[in-house]
Amino acid sequence: MGNEFLKNRFHVTRRHFLGKLGLGFGSVALGSLLMPDLFSGKAELSQGVGLPHFAPKAKRIIYLFQNGAPSQLESFDYKPLLTKMAGEELPASIRMGQRLTGMTSGQKKFPLVGSHFKFQQYGKSGAWVSEMFPNIAKVVDDICIIKSMHTEAINHDPALTFMQTGAQQGNRPSMGAWLSYGLGSENKNLPAYCVLLSRGRGNGQGVYSKLWTNGFLDSIHQGVQFSSSEERVLYLKDPQGRDRADSRKMLDNLAQLNDMNYKEFGDPEIQTRIQQYEMAYRMQTAVPELTDLTHEPDNIIKMYGADCLAPGTYAANCLLARKLSEAGVRFVQLYHQGWDQHGNIVGEMPLQAQDVDRATAALIMDLKQRGLLEETLVIWGGEFGRTNYCQGDLSKDNYGRDHHPRCYTIWMAGGGVKPGMVYGESDEFGYNIVRDPVHVNDFHATVLHLMGLHHEQLNFKHLGRRYRLTDVAGKVVNGILV
Amino acid sequence: MQKIKSILLNLIFFIQVLLIFLLLFDDRIELPVWLQVVGRLHPALLHLPIGLLVFLVVLLLARNEFKKKAFNKIMLVALLLTSFTATVTALFGFFLSRQGDYGPDALIQHKISGTVLSLLCYGLLLVFVRQEKSRSLFYGLGLLTVGSMFFAGHTGGALTHGENYVFAPLSNSNDPVADADASVFQRAVFPILEKKCISCHNEKKAKGKFVMTSVTEFKKGGKHGKEWEEGKPENSRMIRYIHLPLEDDDHMPPDGKPQLSMLEMTMLETWIRAGADFEKKLTDLKDGDSLKIMASALIALKTNHLNEKTYEFSSAPEAVIGKLNTPFRSVFPLYQNSPALQADFFIKESFASSSLEELKEIKDQLVVLNLSKMPVIDKDLTVIGSFKNLEKINLNFSKINGTGLSSLQGLKKLNSLSLAGTDITSESLKPVLVLPALKELFVWNTTITEEQRAKLEARYPGIAIRTSQFKEDKTLRLGRPLLVNEGVVKGGEPVVLKHSMPGVTIRYTLDGPNPDSVASRVYDAAFHLLVSTKIKAIACKSGWYCSEVFETTCFVEGQRPLHVELLTAPDKQYPGEGPKSLTDGRKGFTDVFKEPSWLGYRDQPFAAGFDFGPNPETINSIVISYGRSIGSYIFPPAEVEVWGGKSLKEIKLIKALKIEQPVKNEPQRIEALTIPLETSSYSYYKLIARPVDKLPTWHSGKGKKGWVMVDEVFFY
Repeated sequence: MGNEFLKNRFHVTRRHFLGKLGLGFGSVALGSLLMPDLFSGKAELSQGVGLPHFAPKAKRIIYLFQNGAPSQLESFDYKPLLTKMAGEELPASIRMGQRLTGMTSGQKKFPLVGSHFKFQQYGKSGAWVSEMFPNIAKVVDDICIIKSMHTEAINHDPALTFMQTGAQQGNRPSMGAWLSYGLGSENKNLPAYCVLLSRGRGNGQGVYSKLWTNGFLDSIHQGVQFSSSEERVLYLKDPQGRDRADSRKMLDNLAQLNDMNYKEFGDPEIQTRIQQYEMAYRMQTAVPELTDLTHEPDNIIKMYGADCLAPGTYAANCLLARKLSEAGVRFVQLYHQGWDQHGNIVGEMPLQAQDVDRATAALIMDLKQRGLLEETLVIWGGEFGRTNYCQGDLSKDNYGRDHHPRCYTIWMAGGGVKPGMVYGESDEFGYNIVRDPVHVNDFHATVLHLMGLHHEQLNFKHLGRRYRLTDVAGKVVNGILV
Repeated sequence: MQKIKSILLNLIFFIQVLLIFLLLFDDRIELPVWLQVVGRLHPALLHLPIGLLVFLVVLLLARNEFKKKAFNKIMLVALLLTSFTATVTALFGFFLSRQGDYGPDALIQHKISGTVLSLLCYGLLLVFVRQEKSRSLFYGLGLLTVGSMFFAGHTGGALTHGENYVFAPLSNSNDPVADADASVFQRAVFPILEKKCISCHNEKKAKGKFVMTSVTEFKKGGKHGKEWEEGKPENSRMIRYIHLPLEDDDHMPPDGKPQLSMLEMTMLETWIRAGADFEKKLTDLKDGDSLKIMASALIALKTNHLNEKTYEFSSAPEAVIGKLNTPFRSVFPLYQNSPALQADFFIKESFASSSLEELKEIKDQLVVLNLSKMPVIDKDLTVIGSFKNLEKINLNFSKINGTGLSSLQGLKKLNSLSLAGTDITSESLKPVLVLPALKELFVWNTTITEEQRAKLEARYPGIAIRTSQFKEDKTLRLGRPLLVNEGVVKGGEPVVLKHSMPGVTIRYTLDGPNPDSVASRVYDAAFHLLVSTKIKAIACKSGWYCSEVFETTCFVEGQRPLHVELLTAPDKQYPGEGPKSLTDGRKGFTDVFKEPSWLGYRDQPFAAGFDFGPNPETINSIVISYGRSIGSYIFPPAEVEVWGGKSLKEIKLIKALKIEQPVKNEPQRIEALTIPLETSSYSYYKLIARPVDKLPTWHSGKGKKGWVMVDEVFFY
């Protein structure tokens, strides 16, 4: 009997069902009236691509990438204990099962080795800097040294790719591309993302265009590589027998053709192409002005060192980076090769340091004297650290160091980062982090934050899911913010 | 009655669905203004369901006083009304939630509890309407409803009046952090204790008999006596416990509780080191006092969200901003939804005063103006002076001389002005130095001397006047000059030397010794070369050491033979393009030899024939361009022979040379081997270049054969 009642209660006539359904639909429809973007198809764009989410501290970035991973133990992370314990075996309690690269996996012993180079404290902050970087030591009160970076990769390519794109595989957009996507270009006569390469005198590792790729973002966000030759942007001059007016006419006609094509196929890459042609045309005026160094005051050349007049050197790239940044280029990426000292640290590292020290410090001072440092974020560092033990033979006056992902040092300056600060700490062995670890994802989140972007909101839908530079992790390192 | 009941039931169902929908798409919804008004009725309306629920409870308790039929009717009406008002209240509450700045956590709690309450009321109504026999279901649901009413009411109260509103008068904690009159202890130290310590160290719990809630108790310490010593953080037990390893049993706060941040630890230490004062205010401390720096940092962190700048002016219309954007002028908001605008100018050739004047349309909104390197003159400053909300101006390397700076007097908000690289004088700065908000002035690379700068800074202490930090008088060496011409120079083409540094003097020699900075010929114009020549050049400038010697061979096009043949075959690894490679005018690379320009010989000598036809011109010299890469066994040829005659068959030796060999390793380069001839005009020349038979003893390949690499041969 009770069962019958139950049945009755579940008994719903079609009319009743449809009636209720209609009511339900009606209320959903009413609610949807409050969603202005529901049927416009613009919901994804309305995340406001093109402007910072909140008031940014930094407007531009110059990333001085030290490709090959400079040793933190010979530059900024002073570990006297290693000198004291030189030759002794790395304690297992410190290594804690850390994996090895193929280059030292066959090594029987892991003798600790301290820095061959002397350290000293500088500036008001009293940060330790090695004697190889006397000029950076002079601006130590303008920079924030992070001694507690750590990464997941142990070899150059994945680590480099991770540092630049937030993923190790190399199919994601790089930092510069994300920023170009998120903030657009300040100066429409230049690309928002420029790449400058130089090679030092130490053991080098390659750089390749996937490091400045746009990934799945629109190709307008790709990094534009400048040449290391006298002519920094190739094929920019008008060919013989054609002047600017001819070029203009040609571009106008070409744009018409492209536009017809766009109307037929609707491929957004066609629009990108038209825009790129236009920018290239304007670059014909903008670039010669940038690459002309004859108007630089004498003391600028002195500050960066005479090398800055020779195209393709790190110093020349630093000077060009300043000029590009000053002209509103959102992200200038330098790569300086030659920091991979598996052996011969004593021989190679001073040469590497000599090539970058002066110009790097000059860049900081130059931005500062123009009033630009506070709105320009400068980043200096490599893709991982180097081991506290010797790779290969440890002799009295030379040694090498292998890759070390668990702890390394980078520094940042300007753009809303606390000046004259040392953040994070490694243990006495310089092997593990003991305070305030900063993961690569955290680093990215922080850089985006400084640029006025929420790292969780700057995303792009691709292959069915939303991607971010920080993927599914990353915390802003509040401790280094002004 | 039946009809009203049916209408109400349907209406409630309708709103319930709407409510759930709105909750799900919360972040994509925008409210029209009239709905905002409706939302504000929520705080009034919410009392109805509360009252009705209480009424229902009373009704149920007094059910025996009624006849069953009457009771059921009253119940139905009361339930209908409760459910309806609860649902409407929840809906209105949702509308209200879209307008206030509520803390996200509390808001979500209240949203969910409110929705649950309205659902429960609806459920209760349904159970009653369907005359469910199970009493326990009805009463259970009823109990849940009342419970959720309390929770929703509490979370709502917390939203409106702040967390802990009810008990606040007892704990007396109005936010002292933002209160400038409160002491450093109240603003920066106590909030740390309150957040991380007091949950265990209060009158009720008093772990270790240490109570931190009042100053007297805090001073008294715990069961071991005083927990800290004025001026000596290292002797303070409290500080020591904080620094113990996390695993240590004595570590504070204990493992599992929220830990102190680095900043908080340092704050406590600094406060104790500074004497653990409970009275001093931030304003009592000197600038540069470590306690002041620490406390300010902490307070700034806490009140950061309040510091976001707000602007009093309204946004400019989007159409106006859009119109002002050109390739040479970018105008954009500082960030999303900010009314403040920045304008940047680019490409000095495209700048005109009128392009600055056009910005008058956004004169109230313009906050940052970047005119770096634009040919702005003093007259233009009057326009800039009318943008009264400007905070930052960049006029670096513009064309002003400072006479117009008085036009900026009305810029009361200007805090940063960059004038680097302009012709301003110390005198002309006066009108801007009195601007009330000015904090930073950049005058690097102007006529202003260090002395003047120091004087100004002393006179206007609130303004940082910045010049270059770079002070080094060490003399540096210039970089080398460069040869601009590439590859083989055509006859008549001018030869150009270059140095990027303005004002340098280039001195050079042609086929001569190293140039010196006094006697050697000065390069003042492009020159012409008739034959391939070795150029050595240095760059000099006062205040610098002269550059190292730049040394290169400039290869000049000569007479072209009608026909070239190789008389010996090059090594298989370096075949080049056969005889063509020798006279195609294309130079090889210095460091890559496996490419079409280079012909390589090792096991047999290089031998080639050049046919100039029956009417040959006079030939005075022959130049063989060859590679030197000592480390790769590529040496100059040991011997060279020149044969001349009518044809390959009627030919005689006219010149034989032994070539000087390197005595140590040297950088890779391409060198010209010049063979002077007595004036001759043969139809056919044969050249032979023999590789070194045995490399010298100092070389790592001693005793082995050397290579000869040739990329071009010239006849002059």
